[in-house]
Amino acid sequence: MTTSSNPVLEVSHFNVDYGVGAAAVRAVDNVTFTLERAHVLGVAGESGSGKSTLAYGLTRLLRAPGIITGGDVHLHLGTDADARRMDLLAASEAELRAIRWKHISVVMQSALNALNPVRKIGKEFDEVLKTHNRSMSKSARKDRARELLGLVNLTPDRLERYPHELSGGQRQRVMIAMALALQPELVIMDEPTTALDVVTQREIVAELQKLRQELGFALIFITHDLSLLVELADEIMVMYAGRIVERAPALELYRGPRHPYTLGLMGSFPPLHGERKVMTGIPGSPPNLKDLPGGCAFHPRCPYAMERCTLEDPMLSPIEDGQRTVACWLHDPSVSAAVPVELRRKDAALAGEAG
Amino acid sequence: MNQIPANDAVVATTNGITRGEVILEATDLVRRFTAKGEGGLFAPKKTLVAVDRVSLALRAGEVVAIVGESGSGKSVLSRLLARIITPSAGTLALRGTPIDLRSRRTTAYANEVQLVLQDPFASINPVRRVGRSLERPLRIHGTPKDQVQARAYEVLESVSLTPPQQYLDRFPHELSGGQLQRVNIARGLSVRPKVLLADEPISMLDVSVRLGVLNLLRELCDAHLLAMMYITHDIASARYIADETAVMYAGQVVERGRGTVVIDAPVHPYTQLLVSSVPDPDQLTHQEHRATTANAVGFNLEGCRFSPRCPHATELCHTSEPPMVELEDGHSAKCWLVADAAQRTAVSMRPGPSSEG
Repeated sequence: MTTSSNPVLEVSHFNVDYGVGAAAVRAVDNVTFTLERAHVLGVAGESGSGKSTLAYGLTRLLRAPGIITGGDVHLHLGTDADARRMDLLAASEAELRAIRWKHISVVMQSALNALNPVRKIGKEFDEVLKTHNRSMSKSARKDRARELLGLVNLTPDRLERYPHELSGGQRQRVMIAMALALQPELVIMDEPTTALDVVTQREIVAELQKLRQELGFALIFITHDLSLLVELADEIMVMYAGRIVERAPALELYRGPRHPYTLGLMGSFPPLHGERKVMTGIPGSPPNLKDLPGGCAFHPRCPYAMERCTLEDPMLSPIEDGQRTVACWLHDPSVSAAVPVELRRKDAALAGEAG
Repeated sequence: MNQIPANDAVVATTNGITRGEVILEATDLVRRFTAKGEGGLFAPKKTLVAVDRVSLALRAGEVVAIVGESGSGKSVLSRLLARIITPSAGTLALRGTPIDLRSRRTTAYANEVQLVLQDPFASINPVRRVGRSLERPLRIHGTPKDQVQARAYEVLESVSLTPPQQYLDRFPHELSGGQLQRVNIARGLSVRPKVLLADEPISMLDVSVRLGVLNLLRELCDAHLLAMMYITHDIASARYIADETAVMYAGQVVERGRGTVVIDAPVHPYTQLLVSSVPDPDQLTHQEHRATTANAVGFNLEGCRFSPRCPHATELCHTSEPPMVELEDGHSAKCWLVADAAQRTAVSMRPGPSSEG
């Protein structure tokens, strides 16, 4: 967004396909963004929007038939003195192994699948610490593991437990503690709280916010729950059919979405207070990536669709002095149609009425 | 998406059912499960009470929402009502007729009470065309052969899958999750049940299509005077759809009330915790979360089930179980704090000098 930056991750024109040739399906399409050091970027979207594929692709964890077909991903490692910029897409398996956990770590939705069921929790910690720091003594590793569990409010006796002996929330806490074990610059979390109860989700999110302030890592938090992101993220990126359709500072996005899909998504969550009224959500079904509509992928479901939307795909472009970006023809200066009031800047709407 | 107003001048009746009439009534339902004991193969078995003395009434044209976390017993409750699981104790009555719970579930009962499950991909046979999945229950429940297809068309239309012929010949994998859940609901409705039990019907669906299915359930409930139970962990959706909400914790209903009162003005500490845990961007500024002990799992079986996690728990809460106390207009809660407050109010309202304690 701003030019004077201290980025930790730079992604440009990133594409991921599933399959090759004529059968290929583009799951992530031309995604470009920069994540600043110690910032939280929320990625919101429905299933099939490409948000998880993005996470796997960026970290080179993608499995066949997923293929990265284009773009650049650069990770900035270390601080001022020994700072270096690493090309993640060109990195070898050995180079990737060296940076995983240490500089970039990932927490997935299902901690049960991420933890080895026949190994005690302590053993998992031990291995992560040992692999990346050969000189660390066994007792030092154990102390560090205890300390890490403390960070996520678990008692040290959990180290002697097997994954099945922990509750879902405790397992996800273990995963978060492990992700932070080597103090990485970047942590990517893919729906880490979706499988958990709201009370547990609340506790984990509160812990995450505290940890982020203490440790200062950058975070990419992926979820379908927009309201959760508003609380947690500095900025939110909304994805639809593999593309970014809108990006804005979290509260701004919540207070005034500019893309019709974002507006529809926000109208899909019934409120917790106020008058009960009938809401409609978004008509139609999420798109089939094998058979995307021409033009803007959202146009068949969009109440504001114009002829142009069916013909040309809008580019993600900055609006409102570069404060936010949106991919929608409604906001294109060359389009004469008036921006609907619900998708307009509030003060601009007032100014328009006055003038 | 028009709701039929409840105070319709013409009293809505379908098949001789009046709106608001109690269709299915459960009284003190209990279900115990035996679980492996701790400490080896031959350790004494443990008894788990999944549903603990739950009473509720499902009324024609009304939605009762059951809210709870995983493990609270809400799904077991739905299966008890559908008679897929036999209750350990308690009674069930369908339109006032007591059901013999020792006998097997009859087709006639299944015809009246249908269950719709969470995951449409798991509950519809993936290698059969949608039409076959829809027609099978109709045949089983004795729809004349020449009417089966017409009825299948009709139910698909009623869940807004139009034109129906476009869906009957498809396989489940050709439909989206939202469409398939509509098929699932259509199948439940095809035999014209009076009670529909929906267990987390929207939680597997994409966010943008959830409201569509929720609205559909509400419409069907109003149009066919269905008595509906909506089970969910999503409090906001319960608030959106329900005429009555009951909150379950550890197998018990801990708070219940008409309309939105349970969510707007919860009195039980557990409901308060639940409501305050929901992400709510409108109230970012004054967000203060009650401290509970995150590591406290397991329930207190002696006193109040929630007492190990409750910030207000007293000695009494740990030792004896609180009664369900009615506050007002059918809003009641199972908590000693509420019980005490209610008693104090009752005492202070008593005329004349009263000798207390």
